[in-house]
Amino acid sequence: MVDCAVCGTRFSRGNYGELATHFLTSAGKSDAPHVSWLNRNITRTRIDQEMLSGMLSEYYSMNGKGIKDWIIKNFVDHFRGPNPHPFILAMQSYDENVLRGYAIEHHHFLKQWIKSCSYVIAKTDFDDVQDYELENIMTELHGYGKDEPSHHELLIEMGESLGLDRKSILQSTPLPATLRAVHTWNRIASERTWIETMAAMHSLELVANRDLGRYGAKYPYFNPEILSGGKATAEVRAFLKEGYEADVSHSYVALDIIEKYCTPENLEDVQGSYLLSANAFSDYLEARLERGEMIENKQ
Amino acid sequence: MKTNNEEGCGLCNATWGEYHRDIQGEDMFFCCNICADIFQNMVDEVKKRTGWNVIDRVELHGNYSSGRECTAYSGNNQFKYYFRTYGDGRMMKFEER
Repeated sequence: MVDCAVCGTRFSRGNYGELATHFLTSAGKSDAPHVSWLNRNITRTRIDQEMLSGMLSEYYSMNGKGIKDWIIKNFVDHFRGPNPHPFILAMQSYDENVLRGYAIEHHHFLKQWIKSCSYVIAKTDFDDVQDYELENIMTELHGYGKDEPSHHELLIEMGESLGLDRKSILQSTPLPATLRAVHTWNRIASERTWIETMAAMHSLELVANRDLGRYGAKYPYFNPEILSGGKATAEVRAFLKEGYEADVSHSYVALDIIEKYCTPENLEDVQGSYLLSANAFSDYLEARLERGEMIENKQ
Repeated sequence: MKTNNEEGCGLCNATWGEYHRDIQGEDMFFCCNICADIFQNMVDEVKKRTGWNVIDRVELHGNYSSGRECTAYSGNNQFKYYFRTYGDGRMMKFEER
């Protein structure tokens, strides 16, 4: 099934003509999410159904490569290309309010993260997939004792070092954009297949991958000078460094697993679920910025 | 009100959509309601900061990612500013330049 990247409506396999008609109908109603997606991903110029169908087919095309390559290139375009996500731009300098926003909203992301990973485990019998997700859950939320705290614990400690209270982070209510994204990820995990869920979640780890320059990335996840400069607290450095280093191997291993089990029959499903997740992630990254602005303005 | 986006949407120049909104008593085309909201909020903010009753023309350069560097004109006056919005159109940052 080929999916609409915006609303998830599914069309029969390879039917880019119907997908194009769907987008044209939505654009005719000036539906903002669909129009915005066309503007950012296909073209800002109104074109007819036949031409749009061809451009959508090209957008989803593997061009002789595998799903791993397609996801990486698409992710780079979305978040770290010449027009990066505003959160990536914000991370090119040291801004404590952005990091405070990160600490609060990311807590909710990680809580959903382990639920999604758990759905993957529950929906497959493949040992390599289950092993990978078990290890991932441990690393992200449970940790391995005091010497190897979880990513979540490092996140909370970063927030505390910036003046936030641990309890206030844990008991915070996510901003609407975070909540919408969490619902999207939970829906994918509960309703779709394990491989789609894996693609939806682990593709997002590419955001911190240091190796994406060869795929066209123009911006690092954050300015590396933050790690060596004197402004950042030790806890900020510990959190960013951990993600920065660990996620390189994490996201490639996951994408290799996805590529291993991806077939012509489930390829478009994997692409569709990844795209839904990437859109949700974009929304969620804005919530980190918004929370930072709220803290700066003492709201 | 004139903008440098002459082919399409008053904010982003896209030619998708069929959305129209009255801005300063004039019918303007936008690709969607969010672009219209952003444009309307921008116009209101410029008027608030300058005290102008009418804006004749706005030049906009940029996009959602980087934000937009703009110049507004009213008669012989001009006002330079930068703004960025969230994806849903709410103002994130507005700075005089």
